[in-house]
Amino acid sequence: MNISAIILTSLAIIFIAYVEAISAKNLVRLLISLELMFAGVLVAILPLFSVDPAMAFIFVILTLFVSCSELLILITSIILIGKQKRRTDVDTISVGGDSL
Amino acid sequence: MSGDVIVLLAGILAILGATGVLFTRDNFYAALYLCLTMIFVSSMYAAYNIQQVVVLLTLIFVGVVGAVTIVVAATYETRLPREPNKVWAAFTALVFIIVASAYYSITTELKISGDFAKEFATVPTEYFLVLVVLFTLMILIVLSAIKLVKRVEL
Repeated sequence: MNISAIILTSLAIIFIAYVEAISAKNLVRLLISLELMFAGVLVAILPLFSVDPAMAFIFVILTLFVSCSELLILITSIILIGKQKRRTDVDTISVGGDSL
Repeated sequence: MSGDVIVLLAGILAILGATGVLFTRDNFYAALYLCLTMIFVSSMYAAYNIQQVVVLLTLIFVGVVGAVTIVVAATYETRLPREPNKVWAAFTALVFIIVASAYYSITTELKISGDFAKEFATVPTEYFLVLVVLFTLMILIVLSAIKLVKRVEL
């Protein structure tokens, strides 16, 4: 398998997730698109296993921790905004997000 | 079926799953497509016999992150009339074509082999500090999230 094929697969997933994040009108959809970006990042780490497997393994763990942290923060904000505004549209946080 | 064919197939299916997330209107189905993409990503690792990462990805990435996303999507389920932003999609496609043409020249063959049980045996000792810092940060984030949601002093 050529490395460029794996990198291109990763790039395709990341760019699709990017378009999704740009087009998102809902916070849940934003969360899903950001998680999709992490899936693309994990594909990009795969070629690193041919160079230094131990370091690549740490990168996978690091990516998973960052992904879980991002999930926690976004879920917290979704719950808070859901409680206050009764909906989770992106428009609700574009005005007066500081009042939270 | 060789490992390379499985990786290629899993990659194509992962891209199709990501496209499904882009085009579905329902958040719940988008979360399901996300889990599908994650499973195909972990199957790419499985094709190269990196079992430790497959277990990590399946347990944490699919099992926890995917499942929680599905629960959140089901709780705050919305069906918005939506379509991808065409201007940004065109710009992103242009950037993808430029980067893809640059990467296409890379012809290095991916050779992943070896006993990963031995390779990863040094990880807990060599990267101990990194793991401790990550766990500490995660606990701090969880406590902050609980404090924000419950609005109680811990």
